[in-house]
Amino acid sequence: MKENGYDYSVVRGFAFSAIFWLIVGLLVGLWLAAEMILPQLNLTPWLSFGRLRVVHTNGLAFGFALAGIFSCTYYILQRLTKVPLAFPRLARFHLWLFNIAIALAALSLFAGMNTSKEYAELEWPLDVGIVIMWVIFAINVFGTLIKRKEKQMYISLWYIIAMTVTIAVLYIVNNLEVPVNLFKSYSIYAGANDANVEWWYGHNAVGFVFTVPILAMFYYFLPKSTNLPIYSHRLSIIAFWSLVFGYLWTGAHHLMLTPLPEWIQTVAIAFSIFLIAPSWGSVVNGYYTMRGNWDQMRTNYLVKFFIFGITFYGLQTVQGPTQGLRTLTAFFHYTDYIPGHVHMGTMGWVTMIISASFYYMMPRITGKELYSIKLANLHFWLILVGQLLFTVTLWIAGIQQGAMWKATNPDGSLTYSFLEGVVALYPYWKIRLIGGLIYFVGIVVFTYNLIMTARGAGVKLAETRAQTA
Amino acid sequence: MSVYSKPITFALLSAVVILVGTFITLFIPMMLPSTQPVSDYIKPYTAIELEGRDIYIREGCNNCHTQTVRPLRTEVARYGEYSKPEEFAYDRPFLWGSRRTGPDLNRVGGKYPDSWHYKHMNDPRSMFAKSNMPAYGWLAKRKLDTKYSYRKVSILGYGYSESDVRNQIEEYRKKVTSADYPARAVRESVTPPELRSELTEMDAIIAYLQKLGRDVKALKKKEMRMVAEASPVTASKRNPFAGSKKAAEEGEKIFKKNCAVCHGEDAEGGIGPNLTDDKWRYGNSDSDLYTTISEGSPNGMPSWKGKLGNEAIWKVITFIRSQREQD
Amino acid sequence: MDWVDWAYLAFGGALVAVFACIVFYYYKPRRKRHVEEPKYRMLDDD
Repeated sequence: MKENGYDYSVVRGFAFSAIFWLIVGLLVGLWLAAEMILPQLNLTPWLSFGRLRVVHTNGLAFGFALAGIFSCTYYILQRLTKVPLAFPRLARFHLWLFNIAIALAALSLFAGMNTSKEYAELEWPLDVGIVIMWVIFAINVFGTLIKRKEKQMYISLWYIIAMTVTIAVLYIVNNLEVPVNLFKSYSIYAGANDANVEWWYGHNAVGFVFTVPILAMFYYFLPKSTNLPIYSHRLSIIAFWSLVFGYLWTGAHHLMLTPLPEWIQTVAIAFSIFLIAPSWGSVVNGYYTMRGNWDQMRTNYLVKFFIFGITFYGLQTVQGPTQGLRTLTAFFHYTDYIPGHVHMGTMGWVTMIISASFYYMMPRITGKELYSIKLANLHFWLILVGQLLFTVTLWIAGIQQGAMWKATNPDGSLTYSFLEGVVALYPYWKIRLIGGLIYFVGIVVFTYNLIMTARGAGVKLAETRAQTA
Repeated sequence: MSVYSKPITFALLSAVVILVGTFITLFIPMMLPSTQPVSDYIKPYTAIELEGRDIYIREGCNNCHTQTVRPLRTEVARYGEYSKPEEFAYDRPFLWGSRRTGPDLNRVGGKYPDSWHYKHMNDPRSMFAKSNMPAYGWLAKRKLDTKYSYRKVSILGYGYSESDVRNQIEEYRKKVTSADYPARAVRESVTPPELRSELTEMDAIIAYLQKLGRDVKALKKKEMRMVAEASPVTASKRNPFAGSKKAAEEGEKIFKKNCAVCHGEDAEGGIGPNLTDDKWRYGNSDSDLYTTISEGSPNGMPSWKGKLGNEAIWKVITFIRSQREQD
Repeated sequence: MDWVDWAYLAFGGALVAVFACIVFYYYKPRRKRHVEEPKYRMLDDD
């Protein structure tokens, strides 16, 4: 279906790629959660926790989230510029290259080809492939922007540009390595410098994959699905520049109290605290958009996703900087509190916004009615409950673990052995697995709903509804 | 026309904006040698240890184990001396990790004998019933591939020749396969017969684990030996350098660096007493002086045995004596 | 305060000044209509 010559085939292709990798990544995640309490599940070398965890993080951050981002970007880009994609065939090539790269990435990580740098574990030949893929994407982004019909670029487009530029810089700088052979390489940086580069990358991967493009979706799809203009365009200008300026300073809050020079840690934490302001700029912008129209939380099924999503974003952006403060990092770092933090961002904010964006786009790109709003609501409640059970449990587990590591007897000796600290977490890890299962069921409902929509099962419903009306 | 109407300008402006923080917190520290200092005490990995490290990376051990002990009291009590930047000069990539599902490993070297590791890697639950670490017995069933060892150490610039690498590999093979290797029994119990005279991946990863923190511990031991040697009980009571001009000159240098702050540049006194007159609070003999310097005194003189050691203390005494002779 | 502290302070001050300029620029009442225009246009039927 093509109106105005817009190309929706890649939007649809990336949407279903995202769903596919989401299911794969979550299954791996569930297996990992089970391995934490049942180590016998480390059945083979490629199923062992150390290799599998990397498949989980890469599969979801890059397979799911990036595909979702590409899908929404190609949609938003055409809609906000009011022109079709500059190079539709290149975009289709992008879709194929992306899926091949992710599949090879998963296989190579299962095989243990792994640079060990978090969220940049892929070995150098795949790095080269990913850089090529990114350039192809950037050509389409800028090509389409240049021939746009709309003079001023709306907020979402700024975030898309910032992501396109920054991910390129981050990925290339962090992955500079010397190959030993086709499957093995060494970082060009040593020790503290390598750590500094890696967490500059790692934190900004969070910033420019899990934040910036998701905000682009939020700023586009919330007004579109509510038919309400965003509260303040100028507030978003201030928030945008502060966010992209501030983010790059903060990586070292992942390295507090390590041998990295202290001033870098201090600067990082100062900017982390500063970042609360632009993050909440977007939160406030979202909330105020709904002013006087909060009834849409009941009447419009999409609004729940956006408002809860941005709320989790708001919670994350306060929790993150505070857990980086020296006193608190001494207690929380290396415990389960941190995975708890990360998962509220990914399972709450990122997935909720991508879900709602897909629900909004799918009828428009297929020309078919959404299959079931009831199922969309069920999906919402399942992923909400699953996520909260998962994350809050891990926060509590983290607090307990931190306290046990720090506990001392009156004579100054340690109260608990390390293993006692592990054993104490087994009950929490069981609850976490249950939370993950509930969440997974929610995602299965989501998948079913989208597939049925694309197959046209919703059209009939709409027709019968029209007849009865 | 604002920047919001010019996509290319906008992209360039964003690039500049993101590069400010990048430049200051990333590129500037990279140009400062103090960010990643190099120390003579910290030795690069041997070829075998490096192969073990690569297996550690391949298996993603860093996903559950950190390698950085933070300067916190309970952490030092649990793992040992906190991590110093110079320890990581040869780490490419770094392996500090981000989550302690298992304990920190930066000080694990020498903590347990090799036999402990063979047994533990093979089946962690045979030693700790409630451990959730995966079993890695299969590493002992895989022959270590050393085809790229020389290439690896050359890329990393460890300064070994090709024959150094061959020797390191052969020596380690001899060590673990010899009849008097202390971990022989348990190694053979986990290694299949056809690989018992070869190096396995398990051998290499254990060699690597035993290297972690070893140089720092050796340095600590050396300091303790200095302390022991410089204790008045064990030290000789007679100045081995008595009257030596050279020793006095060296002693002067040590004095200026360590003692002059309190006792004055020429030992004429300051916060601490004058050392060129005839008044001695804690005795006048060489052995009395030695005890005062090495152990310190109740009136504020610190103990120097850990900092200077036996020889330097005698040299300082030689210098002090030479000062008095001049008067 | 040594020069490092002064440098920190000057740098921090410069950042605050840049920030204030951006805020004042975009929050000038006469610019409001122009700055806020895209948020209505994006709602138009596309």
